[in-house]
Amino acid sequence: MKVLKDIHTDFSAVANSRDVMVADNARWKTLREQAQHQFGRMGLPGRKEEDWKYTSLWQLGQEQFVHQVSQPGHADIHELKLVEDAYRLVIVDGRVDLTASSINELPSGLTVTPLSQSIDRASEFLNQQINMEKPGFNALNTMLMNEGIFVEVAENTKIDKPIELIVVNSGHTLHYAMHLRHVIVLGKNSQATLIEVYAGNEKANGLTDVVTEANLAEKAELFHYKLQRESLDHFHVATMAATQATDSKWHNTNISLGGKLARNDVHSQLLGEQSHVTLNGLYLVTGEQHVDNHTRIDHSVPNTTSEEVYKGVLDEQSHAVFNGKVIVHKDAQKTDANQSNRNLLLSRGCEIDTKPEMEIYADDVKCGHGSAVGQINEDQLFFLRSRGLDAVSARSLLTFAFAVEVIDRIANQELKQSITRVIEKRLPKGGAHE
Amino acid sequence: MKMLEIKNLHASIEGKEILRGINLTVNEGEVHAIMGPNGAGKSTLSNVLTGREGYEITQGEVIYKGENLLELEPEERARRGVFLAFQYPVEIPGVSNIYLLKAALNAIRKHQGLDELDAIDFLTLVRSKMQLVKMDEQFLHRSVNEGFSGGEKKRNEILQMALLEPQLAIMDETDSGLDIDALKTVSEGVNALRSPERSFVMITHYQRLLDYIVPDFVHVLSEGRIVKSGDKELAKELEKSGYSWVHDSPEAEAEGQPA
Repeated sequence: MKVLKDIHTDFSAVANSRDVMVADNARWKTLREQAQHQFGRMGLPGRKEEDWKYTSLWQLGQEQFVHQVSQPGHADIHELKLVEDAYRLVIVDGRVDLTASSINELPSGLTVTPLSQSIDRASEFLNQQINMEKPGFNALNTMLMNEGIFVEVAENTKIDKPIELIVVNSGHTLHYAMHLRHVIVLGKNSQATLIEVYAGNEKANGLTDVVTEANLAEKAELFHYKLQRESLDHFHVATMAATQATDSKWHNTNISLGGKLARNDVHSQLLGEQSHVTLNGLYLVTGEQHVDNHTRIDHSVPNTTSEEVYKGVLDEQSHAVFNGKVIVHKDAQKTDANQSNRNLLLSRGCEIDTKPEMEIYADDVKCGHGSAVGQINEDQLFFLRSRGLDAVSARSLLTFAFAVEVIDRIANQELKQSITRVIEKRLPKGGAHE
Repeated sequence: MKMLEIKNLHASIEGKEILRGINLTVNEGEVHAIMGPNGAGKSTLSNVLTGREGYEITQGEVIYKGENLLELEPEERARRGVFLAFQYPVEIPGVSNIYLLKAALNAIRKHQGLDELDAIDFLTLVRSKMQLVKMDEQFLHRSVNEGFSGGEKKRNEILQMALLEPQLAIMDETDSGLDIDALKTVSEGVNALRSPERSFVMITHYQRLLDYIVPDFVHVLSEGRIVKSGDKELAKELEKSGYSWVHDSPEAEAEGQPA
């Protein structure tokens, strides 16, 4: 096994302690046991694993993470929320903050609870979208998950407001590790918007380990946004996975701004005909940041479509990895799949490893992919300066112009504006676009 | 009063000398046309005047309103009233035209110690300028020059010029790629901007543009020097007999010497 040796945190011991959510549910217990066994066998992946070739977990392995909170932290939700009016669940340092949340008045057909309060229902859907045998964090997450959000939308129900999950690492407890599991269940012909926000105090230097599983029934449609803006000393490891029945649509937007090391695994399984997935991604990294996005789309049946656009802006000594896998299975005729990854490099010291991959086993398909790496266009820069914009503002504006394609794909206008503001602050010499 | 004074200007790119001693004085309100064959150094001159990187000034100086122009960054030149209408306006996907216009105008207003215009005043102003170049308002919300035709790009340049109200406008091959209708529209826009305080340097290969924007002076640039100067009649002469004769002309040598 190509495993990471020398892990300083004894995760297996934590799994046996009171720091995980104990559930009196047979399936839950079985999965936990399987996960412990699996983690004991595999641990965390080393760089010889193909999917971890460019991302070393060595530094994460050296950390002595804490799983108990010494003092409950505080989060300023007004600063962090992206939409005003939402069904909102707030998790601070691994615990649900009910006073900051607003899930009391839900419309009929919508369930939003902390995962700990819906264990029996959630366990019916648990681990359907992820594979614990895969090298990575799925087994770890399954054995250590101690909170999360559970969302269920009844069939034929359209939810009027976004559901917003805000996860905060307050920095009160240093080296604090959070293991979260979110279970999203959309009934037939239902529609919802889910926003996941991950933030933290700049002192926070722990780990956020999260898995979001989404189960989309026939004709269900999920607008799914994730904004990760954690501290630059934090580790973030996440999976977002969906199974999609006939005619379902998953529109996923994944924005990575924070973290010392951030890894996202995004996986769609198109299991029903006419199902569609959109994967939009944006990563802005600087300093010593490392971001790794691994996406995978399985076209398993005929007549499914996928569209993927990931864009990255790299500055200083940062490192980004993109690996986008599209698998068109043997029977998946008439698949229409398109993928692109484009990167803007702002300094000489940064590095991008990009690998779009298409595995096509059907013969009647329309598939395209491409990747590109470029720099600020000097002609555009000179043009803007010749119109009176200083060099810094002009660079910042061109950087934003590069990223805007992903932002423009955000359907919710209010969300689009607030994400624009967040991103502008993160531009080189931020805020010049205002 | 002198607006621009170019004295014995020598400039090289990648070690190759392109400008070999240019002398030119432009006074307030004057329109100068600089004509010349391909490779004469016309675009280099406009690039050097507006501060594009990559050129080395080996000799000479350029004084703009009493200041050493060559020491200023491109944006500092723009804020002091120097404007370049590009031969090939660049497309900038993701930056809307209206954003560019606003950012540019505010950068210049700030330099002049003026407040930023509010949204309504700005829009009123832009609309009035758009009428001048017969541009539809939809162009405001499109990305800068993206998918514009050649004529639309050039009109967009004139729109920017009209809005920014420069003191010195340098127009690089503004007529290239324009059909006759677009040429008329663009020329009308430029003519409307002519004033006793504003000067123009028009760089052009063909005489055609000068039928519409009539210059006060015409200069012939050849091999990095101004070899002949005259009034608008000189342009017509060039149109008739081409550029080949300028090399043989004895006065070319004389005028090409540093002043």
